[in-house]
Amino acid sequence: MALFVQLLLNTLQISASYILFSLGLTLIFGVMKVINFAHGEFFGLCLLLISVLVPLLTANQLPLASAYALAAIVAMIATLILGAVLYQFAFKKFQRDMIGSFVMSVGLSLLLEGLFLQFFGGVPVKLPDLIPGNIRFLGGAITTQRLVLTGVSIVIAISMCWLIASTKLGKALRAVAEDYEAATLQGIPYRRIALYGFLLATFLAAIAGALLSPLTVISASVGSDYLMKGFIAIVIGGLGSIPGSIIGSVLIAVIESVGGYYFDPSWATLGMFVITMLVLLIRPKGIMGNG
Amino acid sequence: MKLFSKLLISAALGLSIAHTASAQEVIKLGISAPMSGSAAVWGLGMDWAAKQAADQVNKSGGVTVGGKKYKFEIVTYDNKYNAAEGTKVAQNLVNRDKIKYIVGGIGTAPIQALQSLSEKNNVIIFISAWGKSLKGKEFPLTFTQSNTPFEILGPLYKYVLAKHANVKTVALINANDASGKEVELVSQQVWADLGVKVISSSFYERGTTQFQPIAAKLTEQKPDAIDMGVAPPADAGMILKELGVLGWNGVKVLPVGTSATQLVQIGGDAANGTYMGYAGDYASSLATPMQQDLNKGMLANFKEPLNPLQVSSYDSVMALKAAMETSNSLDPKVIAQTLPKIIFETSYGKTVFGSEAIYGVPQQMQVPIMITQVQDGKMVELARVIPEELKTRLAAGK
Repeated sequence: MALFVQLLLNTLQISASYILFSLGLTLIFGVMKVINFAHGEFFGLCLLLISVLVPLLTANQLPLASAYALAAIVAMIATLILGAVLYQFAFKKFQRDMIGSFVMSVGLSLLLEGLFLQFFGGVPVKLPDLIPGNIRFLGGAITTQRLVLTGVSIVIAISMCWLIASTKLGKALRAVAEDYEAATLQGIPYRRIALYGFLLATFLAAIAGALLSPLTVISASVGSDYLMKGFIAIVIGGLGSIPGSIIGSVLIAVIESVGGYYFDPSWATLGMFVITMLVLLIRPKGIMGNG
Repeated sequence: MKLFSKLLISAALGLSIAHTASAQEVIKLGISAPMSGSAAVWGLGMDWAAKQAADQVNKSGGVTVGGKKYKFEIVTYDNKYNAAEGTKVAQNLVNRDKIKYIVGGIGTAPIQALQSLSEKNNVIIFISAWGKSLKGKEFPLTFTQSNTPFEILGPLYKYVLAKHANVKTVALINANDASGKEVELVSQQVWADLGVKVISSSFYERGTTQFQPIAAKLTEQKPDAIDMGVAPPADAGMILKELGVLGWNGVKVLPVGTSATQLVQIGGDAANGTYMGYAGDYASSLATPMQQDLNKGMLANFKEPLNPLQVSSYDSVMALKAAMETSNSLDPKVIAQTLPKIIFETSYGKTVFGSEAIYGVPQQMQVPIMITQVQDGKMVELARVIPEELKTRLAAGK
């Protein structure tokens, strides 16, 4: 029982991290048909700024929670500005161009990672725990802040599903994702919706960065480390599908947690790639893919 | 007009020769090390320590070979601790920059990539990679300038067992790469020789972000000790933190542990008690004045104390200078033949290259093995073992 609970808790907390990261990645693809390899750098920038600001603010006698909150707000705004600039000068010109956007975003990712390394240095940083302590439950254990993160991730995932399904913006995003020419003919301003979609995705990356900041080790390459798993999640779930990205994230978390326990952590990583290949062979558009 | 053309050509030739002469006065020394990611602190420190050595050599008049003075300049590239980046770095250092002397290399896989070019291009390399396969008669231009598992694991595990006689079982975790694979084999052997049963041995990918499943796997069979092999400080810190969450509190061993700072910053209280085999207290009176100065510089620049991996590049610069001047040659082959025959100054004081009995060639720098432990969030040096071969050679004076 204790083992089952521990594996379940591990799966939940890992899923939460991957869901947060992959939501934005899939949204950009859905709206713009762009595979954004620079998504990890939006996430990384937010984390890196928080890693600089929190020690600075706490050194100036600000309580830790307030320092995290203030740092997160500043970092998220900065990430959104970077997203807007990159959209205007790069992504806007490669919308619905899979190959062009792929090459451009890989280049941007390398450039940004190099700049991060230059400005923030290469030494990995771990910020202090925001909510200290562990919770024991039926023989399993989880840190309090990871439990909170899991809860917040579930709320964000539900909110995203609601936003996409029920709001005017969500309907416009879905219409554009399904058939952008038909959507444009129906009077949906494609370029504006694409911008909103891109900024929403960037905002999600920033939220993921802010929420994971007290938990993860932060370095200039942290975005790339998360990108691979996030990308696997959305490929399995179906590129462009919000529920698909959630399912994909949970699936790779199960493989990592359960597979890593019963076999070997490195075999679990291999297992993810095998599952990805199987899913693509059986269902090339992914579990929830439709386009 | 013809005269003008001749003058112009002569001037251009003269400038070109002058430029070449000026360029020849600088000897570039390369480094291939992780400058980003979880092992970045090792590469950043190695680059910094090598630059301190180069500055010191340059300020004291440079290197004198054939009556001519040369200055050292350090060129470092980020190998990201993986084979793919290591290959790019090797190409940059050997083929593009035409560097003939590599004074620092970290990571078995990146160094294997470097070695595939260095030996055939007559480039001498000093490395800190732990793979035994990197040294031997087939690699006459490869030297190791810091301790490796063959030097460290025996004394470290023996010390741990002397302090914890109840340790009968151990679980191993290593990075899934060339360093991890080679060290795991040595660890298995040394633990078994000491009568400790290895009940599990796992590998994880570098760049892992979620360590909960690894911690769950490690504690699965309730081992008395956990040996984290070649896990760099950031990864080891996360493993220790997750072990702490699960309530495991056995004996923790990190052979490649280079300092307590990052381990404690990331692992928190769970890092306490960890035994390390690759750290040294360079602020203590056991360290030389040079090491104490370097330690202060590291703390000022990186908020990390100096560790043996980082200081190794300082020592290789000094070894290279000594061999160049003794042999009166810049030819890497001649330098490589000279190195095992000389006694030279390093940050530890006088030392030599040896360990022919282990590797078949005397290409392992003889430096002390320092056993340390994290106690109350700080690193404490517990024992310092001077290699027997070094004692003998220094006593003989040759």
